[in-house]
Amino acid sequence: MADKNGNASVRQLEVRHRGRFGQISIYFGKFIRMFVYQSDWKVLPMAAIIAGLVGFALGREFGINMEGTLTATFAVVCVCIWNGSFNSIQVVCRERGIVKREHRSGMYILSYILSHMMYQLILCILQTVVTLIVLHLVGMKFPGKGMFTPWMVVDIGITLFLITYASDLLSLWISTLVHSTTTAMTIMPFVLIFQLIFSGGVFSIPAVVKPIELLTISSPGLKAMASQVNLNDLPYSAVDGMVKMVDKVEVGGRITLGQVLDLLQDEKNPMVAEIRAVKVGNTMTVREIGEDLLNNDTYADLRGKVLVGNVTLGDVISALLNTEALNEILDMEVGEVSTLGEVIDYLAADDAIRSLRNEGLDIHMTVGDAIDIIGREETMASIRKTASEAMYEPAYENTSGNIINNWLHILVFILVFAVLSVITLEFIDKDKR
Amino acid sequence: MTNILRLVLTLFFDAYNPILVAARALFIVGAWLLFRKSGIKSWWALIPWAREYQLGRCAAREPEGRYFCVTSMLITLMSVAIICFQWNDDNETLIAFAPLILVVLVSLLLIRFIYNIRVFSGLIRIYGVSRWWIVFCIFDELRFIPMLTWGAGGKYQPAWKVEDLKAEMERLATHGSAAVMDEGLTVNLKDRHVKEFFHKKYLLKDIHMAIPQGHMVLLLGGSGAGKTTFLNAVNGYEKADAKVTLNGNDMYSDYKKMQYEVGFVPQQELIRGKDTVKRTLLDAAKLRLSKDIPREDREKRVHEVMDIFGLLPVQDNMVEKLSGGQKKRLSISMEFISNPSLFILDEPDSGLDGVMARELFEQLRGIADTGKIVIVITHTPDRVIDLFDDVIVLAKDSSRTGRLAFYGSIDDARSFFGRQTMEEIVKSINQKEEGGDGLADEFVLKYAEVQNG
Repeated sequence: MADKNGNASVRQLEVRHRGRFGQISIYFGKFIRMFVYQSDWKVLPMAAIIAGLVGFALGREFGINMEGTLTATFAVVCVCIWNGSFNSIQVVCRERGIVKREHRSGMYILSYILSHMMYQLILCILQTVVTLIVLHLVGMKFPGKGMFTPWMVVDIGITLFLITYASDLLSLWISTLVHSTTTAMTIMPFVLIFQLIFSGGVFSIPAVVKPIELLTISSPGLKAMASQVNLNDLPYSAVDGMVKMVDKVEVGGRITLGQVLDLLQDEKNPMVAEIRAVKVGNTMTVREIGEDLLNNDTYADLRGKVLVGNVTLGDVISALLNTEALNEILDMEVGEVSTLGEVIDYLAADDAIRSLRNEGLDIHMTVGDAIDIIGREETMASIRKTASEAMYEPAYENTSGNIINNWLHILVFILVFAVLSVITLEFIDKDKR
Repeated sequence: MTNILRLVLTLFFDAYNPILVAARALFIVGAWLLFRKSGIKSWWALIPWAREYQLGRCAAREPEGRYFCVTSMLITLMSVAIICFQWNDDNETLIAFAPLILVVLVSLLLIRFIYNIRVFSGLIRIYGVSRWWIVFCIFDELRFIPMLTWGAGGKYQPAWKVEDLKAEMERLATHGSAAVMDEGLTVNLKDRHVKEFFHKKYLLKDIHMAIPQGHMVLLLGGSGAGKTTFLNAVNGYEKADAKVTLNGNDMYSDYKKMQYEVGFVPQQELIRGKDTVKRTLLDAAKLRLSKDIPREDREKRVHEVMDIFGLLPVQDNMVEKLSGGQKKRLSISMEFISNPSLFILDEPDSGLDGVMARELFEQLRGIADTGKIVIVITHTPDRVIDLFDDVIVLAKDSSRTGRLAFYGSIDDARSFFGRQTMEEIVKSINQKEEGGDGLADEFVLKYAEVQNG
């Protein structure tokens, strides 16, 4: 107690008060009580509902095909950003006056922010667990082994937690910047939209603004999760729909025999080279060779080879066999040949055929027919594989390096936002009131 | 036109179109003349953006002037950036950002237009001219017409001038200082200022006093006189160019230790509503008391303070459920827990009825009687004036700076101001536009003369 002779001040100067770390427990305890009394626990059922909706809408195609998985991954990243952002967007600005008062009474800003960070850390872990459980329940599974732990779900959980926590701290920083909850809630949608637009992967943005992706939490978050689910190895099924749309479209047209022969003699074309290397029987007529190529299952793949546009080798052979002008040639015997290339070269060198180089061949069919001739399943598989290869993204490659890089990227954000929050709130004494 | 010329013209005139440049040049000439009439240095007219701010000051619309200045600066910088891109033939970047640039530019132009109108309507009021003049201000190319007319026309005189602050400050300055006391609070405040845009704004100036221990002091002053600023400067939270000592210890150099010697109770009850009274006080005790105090002693102190302020019956209640008076007492007890030597309360009676307010002030008198200094701001001082020893009167002078108009006993204050009640004293020093007598400068000068001997 102070007395009238001023000893109180001298005593106070010698008193040791709680330091920066000593104060953390005061505020951490306070925030835990707020969790109960101020209904901060509501963020957990909210996280469950949002995860449930997203999982219900997008979970079925997760892990099945590339585009469905990418969409679901993006949606899950959005859920995490949403959860994190709304955890702390109001926490400082709603009690700014109280913070200023306590700062005046000896509270350290560092202690206050660290307490918030500890409290939000627990909240984000709980939200991540809730999100994963709900996603699992609605059918979005993460089976198999993870890259760093024996369970994929734990690896994914780390990514989701990091995204949630980084977003949480971004909002914490915004909350230290603004002076009212109204301003905070006005800024929030802009921050969310910025995160979503510049997440990369889903929205196409001009190359010149691509580097902005580096400033978002969503971009490394999306890349980390896409790497973990091995997005590059999944088939791109969106092409099924596209093929269905063009199934009835007629293709074909009129080409000359000379064009066909020139094409079949172009050994630089890898597809033609493959066809030319096929072994065929000896001393047969040209027609027999043609019919053999058309009907024998051994040559099914060969028949399906696309020569030009949508025209396959099967189409050409079929057209040639049905061209009356070629009857004489078709009945010719071919001797001592061993590959299809040699047959083609033999025919191309023949004077009778050379005189017919300008003869036209009509080829008409629908895309669906063409695919059916080649074999629908094999064709679609091939198209999906080719599309997947075209969609290949090195950042989504399932490597530990990729995942760690993205985790580190998010960790840098966490650190930066924490430091910025402390620095910003240190200026609270400049508040007008 | 070369790119470098375009850049220079854009920076200086915010345009490179010859007609606009000519209009802006005439505008600058008008601003030069107008600034001279309004008591602002004319050369400000030559500085891009600063002239927009100074125009706001001429119109007695400084905040609008700031926005006018900032938006003008952003628009110019965007224009400069566009010219630079064109200069480098980097049209790809320009096209990529075109929609964004367009949205931002249109928004800025709209904001500038609004603040332009506000500033010019202020000038219209100050120069007492017809509202129709605003038509010229709507069109950027025509703004020079009113500027030149008002600036050069002899019949146009401003009703209000930006005062020469330095001369005014010198006129009202006191040159004395209070002797530092070993026991009690000594304040020697030269000034407290903030830097605003292109000038220094003085919030407080020349306040010297020595308050002995055990005194309960009333802090009086009209709205904007700087009462809270003064208290923040006294407790060291917002440092001024000052030397403040409490019981011989420097409040500024030893702030980290001395802050526990000052209890500051803010006007609003800044307490978390979703916590119990006891937990709130326990946390306050952890923060404010020594970390070496055993837990039992800390809890004992909390119990003692709750007992003093009548909070024991509600100790387990949520703060949000307390009545206004209970919240106020809790707010005071949070500061009282560390037993500070200096106790500052900003309107502790706001929201309390007369009886409750009287009870609260009697409790504060009791605290002062234990040898502490209690400084209180209140807007209804007369009902409890018998409880105070001294009064500090802060007044806003004609340059809107807070100054000391009086410090001394209540009776001395009555005779100094020639008023019987404290409310009459406040009325006498308030500005005329605030409904007061506008005698602030007079009393500040009178008190300065007293202090200077």
